[in-house]
Amino acid sequence: MSGDVIVQQLVNGITLGGLYALIALGYTLVYGIMLMINFAHSEMFMAGGYVGLFVLKALTNEAWVGAGTVGFFTGGVFGLIVLFLIVFLSAAILVGILGVVIERFAYRPLRHAPRLAPLISAIGVSIFLQNAVLLWVDSKALPFPAVMPVVTVFKAGGVTVNSLQILILVTTLLLLAFLDTFVSKTRIGKAMRATSQDRDAAGLMGIDINQVIGLAFFIGPALGGIAGVFHGMYYGSVKFDMGFLPGMKSFTAAVIGGIGNLRGAMLGGFVLGILESLAAGFLSAGYKDVVAFAILILVLIFRPGGLLGESVVEKV
Amino acid sequence: MTSKRRRFVALVAVVAALALVVTGCASKTDTGGTDGGAKEATVVKIGIGAPLTQGAVALGKGMERGANLAISQANEDAAVKDLGITFESVSGDDQGDPKTGVTVANQFVSDSKLVGVMGHLNSGVSIPASKVYNQSSVVMVSPASTNPSLTQNGLDNVFRVCTIDSVQGPSGADSAFKDLGFTSAFVVDDSTPYGTGLADEFAKQFAADGGKVVGREKTGDKDSDFNALVTKIKSLNPAVVYYGGIYNSGALLSKQLSDAGVTAPLMGGDGLYDGEYIKLAGDAAAEGDFCTSVGYPIDQLPKGADFKAAFEAAYPGEAIAAYDAYSYDAANVIIEAVKKVAADLGAAKVTTLEGKKAIIAAVAATNMEGVTGAVAFDANGDTTNKVITLYTVKAGAWTAYVK
Repeated sequence: MSGDVIVQQLVNGITLGGLYALIALGYTLVYGIMLMINFAHSEMFMAGGYVGLFVLKALTNEAWVGAGTVGFFTGGVFGLIVLFLIVFLSAAILVGILGVVIERFAYRPLRHAPRLAPLISAIGVSIFLQNAVLLWVDSKALPFPAVMPVVTVFKAGGVTVNSLQILILVTTLLLLAFLDTFVSKTRIGKAMRATSQDRDAAGLMGIDINQVIGLAFFIGPALGGIAGVFHGMYYGSVKFDMGFLPGMKSFTAAVIGGIGNLRGAMLGGFVLGILESLAAGFLSAGYKDVVAFAILILVLIFRPGGLLGESVVEKV
Repeated sequence: MTSKRRRFVALVAVVAALALVVTGCASKTDTGGTDGGAKEATVVKIGIGAPLTQGAVALGKGMERGANLAISQANEDAAVKDLGITFESVSGDDQGDPKTGVTVANQFVSDSKLVGVMGHLNSGVSIPASKVYNQSSVVMVSPASTNPSLTQNGLDNVFRVCTIDSVQGPSGADSAFKDLGFTSAFVVDDSTPYGTGLADEFAKQFAADGGKVVGREKTGDKDSDFNALVTKIKSLNPAVVYYGGIYNSGALLSKQLSDAGVTAPLMGGDGLYDGEYIKLAGDAAAEGDFCTSVGYPIDQLPKGADFKAAFEAAYPGEAIAAYDAYSYDAANVIIEAVKKVAADLGAAKVTTLEGKKAIIAAVAATNMEGVTGAVAFDANGDTTNKVITLYTVKAGAWTAYVK
């Protein structure tokens, strides 16, 4: 295999890893605060894809918003940027609200129940959401309109990098930087960290626990929603069960990086995406899932806390 | 403590119930049964097993339409009324999944009035389901399962009206090498019995013809990311990429190939032969892609025009999908057999074990002119009609390929 192919596979892997990382942030954020794995998170990703699709369709439908508006959105670079800012923001906000609503009705009543209960509840929510979309929206895959032109930004030898790949990478890194600063520098971020250390003690110190948990359930799903829109744009379609495989992989990424650790989720996402692409390229496409989950097992054996996770001392 | 535990148990029960509801449900849509004159008519049920909510839904819905059309026409038929029978259809949603398919099959055979099944679509579903039907002597006529092994398990109740992959795969290879002049191919499948069988047969014949198979890879039928594979394909620069699988993933592969600048067309079997393929891949990526499908194009067949007219009257605004006509023929095969048995043994005996066995024998002896051509079965239960047509995407639609 030539060097070009290796570099191209790295580009593929980094893009895929960026998507995994965005979703993994949601798993890890919720786990950090609630010590709970939100199995409905893969459906937040799916919901983001659908919200993005419908908003995009509505905004480019001349009968709804007028020919002038559509012309503005699709006419130039500035219009496209505004259009996609609206699409991404609405996906993030609506899916974030969905996350908060789910927390309120499916998880909060179980907050003091055994830890298995919210987990089962999350699986129930996941099945419910998938079937809701299946029955009320469509069981078929829906094509995602290619409104945004994808241009080749970089081409050298056999390696090409397009604008969408760069957009995914840059957005992921910016969102991580923002989230990292938010959690470590702001007052509410401090409240989040306190809650994650000891929920009851944080409550006694005057922190509004419900607000903190609600915020985690807004930000996590919002990031998943953004990843869903990217998935739709990158692969060109959305489907009600599109969340399952990326959800599993991103959960794996969060565990590899050290669940509960934001930078770990990001690292895990990229590690997984890159290794998967290399495995598909140099072994066989059929082996990529084998490699992904073999890495998970290896990490769990040799570093049970994950690559960047802290080793937790068992309290007696 | 106890109340907490009770709540937990209740929750698990609710989730379990929910899971049951969403996975195994077979939806009932009774058509026909317009008991106009014959009050004492014996109800004879025909099961329609197809993916209706998940999997290749566009093809599955078409199967349901085709079979229901045949059944409602039969109920209008004076000969059927005279025999004292009335047909009812029962749809079972197999979701393109073998486990769900077996659940549907068990639901079908638990109804003693059900004498035959028109289905299923996916070979991976048809094969395990056929064993369930065999135990209850229920005849199964598949309009679409093309994996050769379906009819080679020694089950006397299993038939199909479509041509098998060991005909379709090689035919695709011959077209690719001889008619289209492709000398090298990269072969991919989706790891299902259908996709693997088709891709294997293609690769074998393509190599035998003198073509070069530059790569052979497996993917998953629910995969959406093929970029790593596409990069590999690009570096090997084949003349054509052959995909054994269904349109859902095939379309994404075609789109990603085209996005990466691979100019080689994608080629596949009947699983790609649906308008959804073009919608999902996008016009630009799909243009020039190829697929083979069983039989002649409908408009080239003598009974095609009648079928088209009846279809458009029954389902205004719907397009005829790949298996609508085959499902119509498959349902008619069962209907004709039921009519014969009702005439020989009397309407009351049709739904007995004796009747069901007679129906299997009658289906085996089928010799009728269907919409898709002459319908007759060989000793295995495979159709004797082995025509394959090559289609290509031209101006955003599948059209029969003309050199």
